[in-house]
Amino acid sequence: MRWIKLFVIVTAMLLVATTGWAQQSKLKIGFIYVGPIGDFGWTNAHDVGRKQLEKAFPGQLETFYVESVPEGNVEPFIDKMVRGGAKVVFTTSFGFMDGTIAAAKRYPDVIFAHASGFKRASNSATYMADFYQIYYLNGLMAGALSKTNRIAYVGAFPIPEVKRHLDAFALGARAVNPKLTIHVRWLFSWFDPAKAKEATEALLAEGADTYAFTEDSPTVIQVAAKKNRLSFSHYSPMQRFAPKHVISGQLVHWERIYIDFVGKVLKGTYTTQNLQNVDYWWLLAEKAVELGGQPGQAINPLFTGRLKAAKVKTSEFGTISVYDLVNRRLAQMSKNPVAFDPFTGPIRDRKGVLRVPAGKTMTVQELTTMEWAAPGIVGQWPGEPK
Amino acid sequence: MRPFGLLRIERDPEQSWARTIFVSVLAITAAFLVAGVIFWGYGVSPLRAYRVIIQDTLGDPRAVPEILLPAMPLLLAGVGLVLAFRAQFYNIGAEGQLLAGTVAATWVALFTPTPGPLMLPVMFLTGFFAGALWGLLPSLLKLRLNVNEVITTLMMNYIALSLVSWLVTGPWKGPSVRGFAYTDTFPDPAWLPALAGTRVHWPTLLLGIVLAALAAFLLNRTRLGFEIRVQGQNPDAARYAGVNPLRTTLLVMLLSGGLAGLAGVGEVAGIHHKLLDPNQVSLGYGYVAIIVAWLARGNPLAVIVTATFFGLIYSSGDVMQVSLQMPFRVTDVFNGLILFFLIGSERLLQYRVRWVPWKS
Repeated sequence: MRWIKLFVIVTAMLLVATTGWAQQSKLKIGFIYVGPIGDFGWTNAHDVGRKQLEKAFPGQLETFYVESVPEGNVEPFIDKMVRGGAKVVFTTSFGFMDGTIAAAKRYPDVIFAHASGFKRASNSATYMADFYQIYYLNGLMAGALSKTNRIAYVGAFPIPEVKRHLDAFALGARAVNPKLTIHVRWLFSWFDPAKAKEATEALLAEGADTYAFTEDSPTVIQVAAKKNRLSFSHYSPMQRFAPKHVISGQLVHWERIYIDFVGKVLKGTYTTQNLQNVDYWWLLAEKAVELGGQPGQAINPLFTGRLKAAKVKTSEFGTISVYDLVNRRLAQMSKNPVAFDPFTGPIRDRKGVLRVPAGKTMTVQELTTMEWAAPGIVGQWPGEPK
Repeated sequence: MRPFGLLRIERDPEQSWARTIFVSVLAITAAFLVAGVIFWGYGVSPLRAYRVIIQDTLGDPRAVPEILLPAMPLLLAGVGLVLAFRAQFYNIGAEGQLLAGTVAATWVALFTPTPGPLMLPVMFLTGFFAGALWGLLPSLLKLRLNVNEVITTLMMNYIALSLVSWLVTGPWKGPSVRGFAYTDTFPDPAWLPALAGTRVHWPTLLLGIVLAALAAFLLNRTRLGFEIRVQGQNPDAARYAGVNPLRTTLLVMLLSGGLAGLAGVGEVAGIHHKLLDPNQVSLGYGYVAIIVAWLARGNPLAVIVTATFFGLIYSSGDVMQVSLQMPFRVTDVFNGLILFFLIGSERLLQYRVRWVPWKS
């Protein structure tokens, strides 16, 4: 009896094993992530985008992913995905750029798209959802709410992307309060709660009372809130970690890009022949990014009163409340083409060098390579141009 | 020892290779069985899991070379560690020595006017010396002040980590990478050739195998090897017999660090072709090499087998993620189980089971 049972179980297992192996003819899409999907930032946001993408095209596609892929190892993972039947592969970290381009050459009939890079091929596009406009809006609010005239930024790496966000934050803050300084600490890591805690404590000791950051955990928010200091949420909805202290923040909607891109692949608009110039640089107007610390709420209502009470003189709107200013700027930047850009000249850097001439706006190319520090920023700035 | 029926378990004064292999295979099988339960708990049938793993690692001609990629640095660093461990010098610093090697190689490739054909040999040579230098300080501290080398070699890892981090975000940041934290790509002569259609940079592999053989020769057939072994087994006896502990320890440590340095050169010249974030340059190879060396049980040639075995584990982990959609931590669980059982079986190696006919 026992042998028969065992035999039945083994046969059943083999059956399950073999039927599970059957291939389906849906469009297979692979995602390669640099971090764990359970982080509170970049990778998690891409994974949310992936799930939304699946929902948007029910029954037409199938997605799969690998997480925490080391930068030097992206090629073997792409190989495995293509062998597994992937026809579209998204690689979601700058460090995957060269590997993605090499794979695109090796697999001419697979479509690739690489986030945050600048190299393309006929079957490999690039895409990015950027926050600089939102950081400017966060800066406006920080400028109105800081009491010590010192605000802080905990940065991941001193690279153009983070510098651009920091500069936008500083420009916004000084637009409201020109006396204010922005104190910077670098972590040299995208995810390191221990270092983030250390940096925040150092900045607390320097007297900074409003915090923005780039790091994939809510550490800065939590450490600042313990000392009753305010902060802006970063990347994912982090307002819930300190509902009384998070003013606003930056949210991303990668699904906007994924749905648009894959929709065009399904329709045949995008093929393996015509991606050489396909570069998504999506901002507020495309709804790829959102202002707020939780979806659907641009400003934490707890701060509405104080922001309405703070008045600021602007050449464009006269004297208005910061609350109104944030909303007007948001509306201007949500139009396509935009009616306002934070990096519109004249802008000098903190050393006094003219970086954006009057009447000029920075191009995408300039934005993605910018290294200078905006006035009011205090702290080390590796790679600062002379 | 108490007899169990007709079996008798007793301490065995001799250790045989056959038993070592038998017990190790048994331990690994046990680990696979337990891992199977975890797969099953995760909702993947263990039979299917192992079939997919074998199919996608060993059964696919394009996947087989991927096993060698992690095996190469593990082999080089592992052989060096075997030498150090034989002299009872607990070098935990292979990771830092490896990174020192990557720094030296990057410096040669990007900032020296080394002519093309000499480029790779010079990179390996400076990489070796950089790794050796990184191991020198802990050995001097040990020899002069008797500072515990486990602590110092480990701490030197973090210094190397910070050094690489500082270089790629600071002075060595490449003008061509748009401000990201990488150096520029190496010029062509600094790229190691790869076997056609794969990323296996064969010169590193060849170097690893040759050096494993040389290390075995050194240990077993030379006077210095004898001194290393004696010092490892009984430092007092060694000193009494006229072995200079300063000389042997220093030499062993220079070799150990140097070999880890070579592993680092292989990684930057064969895989990355640039210097980047230290945690991306080496995927903890310096630490895994400790296990690799330990499993080889003091035999440099056995490192070839253990390093390949860990290469297989790395690549099975990749397969589990892609083909079975399991979380990346599953690789760690898998590695952990194998180590748990291997180390747990260590005691068994010292015992033998004997058939004792019943006597009244």
